[in-house]
Parts: sequence; C-alpha cells; structure tokens
Amino acid sequence: MGIFNKLLTAVRGGATEVGEAIVDSQAIRILEQEIRDSKKALHDAKTGLTSIMAEKMGVDRKVKDLTAKITEHEAYAMQAMEKGDENLALDIANKIAEFEHELTIQQGIRDGYDSKVASLKKMIRQSERNIQAMDREVSVVKTTAKVQKANDLASAKFSGSNSSLRSATESLERVKARQQQREDQAAAAMELHADENGDDLQARLKNAGIVDSGSSGSSILDRLKKQKEQS
Amino acid sequence: MSTEKLEQLMKGLAGKQLSDGVGLSIEMFDAENAVACIKVEDREEFPIYMTVDEGQILCISYLFGDEQVDPDKRAAMVEAMLMMNVSIPLSAFSKIGDQYIMFGALSPAASTDELLHEIELLSDNVLEAIEAISDYLKEAA
Repeated sequence: MGIFNKLLTAVRGGATEVGEAIVDSQAIRILEQEIRDSKKALHDAKTGLTSIMAEKMGVDRKVKDLTAKITEHEAYAMQAMEKGDENLALDIANKIAEFEHELTIQQGIRDGYDSKVASLKKMIRQSERNIQAMDREVSVVKTTAKVQKANDLASAKFSGSNSSLRSATESLERVKARQQQREDQAAAAMELHADENGDDLQARLKNAGIVDSGSSGSSILDRLKKQKEQS
Repeated sequence: MSTEKLEQLMKGLAGKQLSDGVGLSIEMFDAENAVACIKVEDREEFPIYMTVDEGQILCISYLFGDEQVDPDKRAAMVEAMLMMNVSIPLSAFSKIGDQYIMFGALSPAASTDELLHEIELLSDNVLEAIEAISDYLKEAA
C-alpha cells in the first residue's frame, strides 16, 4: 500500500472512531507500529547495502587486475612478435583471450551490483521519506490533541465555558478590533504630534516677529479704518 | 522530530519582529513532540505551532473545529477551501482530526528571514481565510 493510502487510512480510521480521541485511536497505534517496522526494515536495508558495496569493491578490484594483465600481456605478445617467435606470441594471445573472457564476466557482475546498489539506495531514500511522513502524521495528530487541550483550558479560564472563546469568527472580531484600536491610537498620536508641531511653529513665528503676536483687536480695527478711508 | 533543531530556530526568532514592526513571542509548547508556539502580537487568538524534522519546517495554525461549521454548508466550504488553496501565498488549508488548519512548510535549510516571512504570511492568511469562510460557519452564539 502506498504511503498516502496508509496515512489516509490512519486519519480516516481516527475520524470514524467516534467518541475516542484520535490520538488513542487504533489507526494511530497501527501507524506507530508501522513506523517501528519500517525503521527496522530501513536498518536492515542499510546493512544490506553496506555488504553489497563491499562485494562490489571486490569485483571492481578483479576488473582492474584483469585489465592490467591484458595490457601487460599485450606488451609481451608485441615483444614476442618483434623477436619473430610466432608460437610464443600465439600462446600469449590465447592467454589474453582467456583474460578478456573473464573480464567480460566480471564486468557483467559489476554492472549487476551497480544496479542493485542504485535500487537499494532508492529504496532506502523512499522508506526514509515514508517514515518521515508517518512520523509527521503521528506527531501532528498528537500535537493537535495537546493544542485542543490547551485551548479548552484557556477557554475555561476566560469564560467559564468553552463555546464563546473558541469561536473562530469571534476571535477574528477581537483581533480586528484590537488592530483597529491600534491604528486609531497611531492616528491620534500622529494628529497630536502634528498639532504640537503646529503650535510650536506659531510660537516661533511670533517670537521672530513674523506673525504679529497682538494680531487681534487693535490691528483689525486699524485695518478696518484704512479700508474705510479708501472707500 | 528534532528538538535540537527546533531550539535553534527558536533562538533565531527570539526578539525578532515582522516587517511592520509587530512583535513575536515564542515558547516551547510540547517538548516531547518538539513543537514550539509562536504568538504574533495582537493576534494571540491564532497562535502558530512550529515543528521541524529532517524533511521540513512545518508551521500550523488552527482555524476552527468541525463543531463550528454549519452542517448544511460543510461540503461547499470544503470545496471553497480546495479552490482557494492554490491562490493563497505560501499557505494551504488542511484538516487534522476534527480541526481545520492552515499550514505552511519550508525547507529545513530555510533562513530566519524566510521563516519570519512564512510566519507573517501565515498569520495574515489565517485572518483573511476565517473572514472568507465565516459565511460557512455557524452564527456565533
């Protein structure tokens, strides 16, 4: 069974066992057993991989030896031919043929080991991922149970009942209200800051004589008098 | 689940702020299962639970339980969640037991900044999602 199917079975099993917490459900216990089994299988596979790689190294050595021997004997055959000893050269060539035959066999064995190692490594990677996924599932389920317990405790502490505090929409409303309050506060603080700066500017303008500090009764009366004279 | 790696991540996040200067608090929630609880300032109602293993860093926020869903609108809600999943940045809907959740996953090699970005988006997404889904929920009592 594929890993997703297993997980689905576990969560479905948990969900259908009415009245029983999903953490204690049979499905989760089965999943935990499966994790233990998979970890054991993974350990075995890794041990298997190690011994196969050791065997492959032995074959690698044989291939290397044979290749060296062929090169060596080819040199001998050349030397024999240079000396005109055709018989010796033929004997050596026969030997080379034996070596080449053996080399073909050993190379075949090595290729077999190569593909075995590759498939074992792939299998190990896959089961590591599966174990991780199952581990995650079990841990996530267990965490959820703890979160729910913590939520219930918090609700009981705040409201005495667990209905109002846990409502998602009400929680959202509370968060939004707090955010609005924060924004309002920030806006008010900014306004206040601007006001203060404005006051400050007025005071400095007056001090500098740019804005007439007595610009009220008398100055307005003067202005009105001038207007009347002009009309 | 790796407690050591989780503690490293917690140390990295300690005292950090989100991009808009909002603070975070982080504490170990469940040492046995290596789960930390992250609370974004002013959004304490929707804490984010973080866990890490060799494969991924997982950040989960719990939205609501089955009991809050209007039974007549349940199928439509689930369909809406599935259809929303792709367009929600970095987060996705899911369900654990009878709890609907929103989660985001990161590479275990993710940097603290990437993790902060994930937390910020998840926190925003959770609020947006509940707003969008509230039509399918029972009227608050």
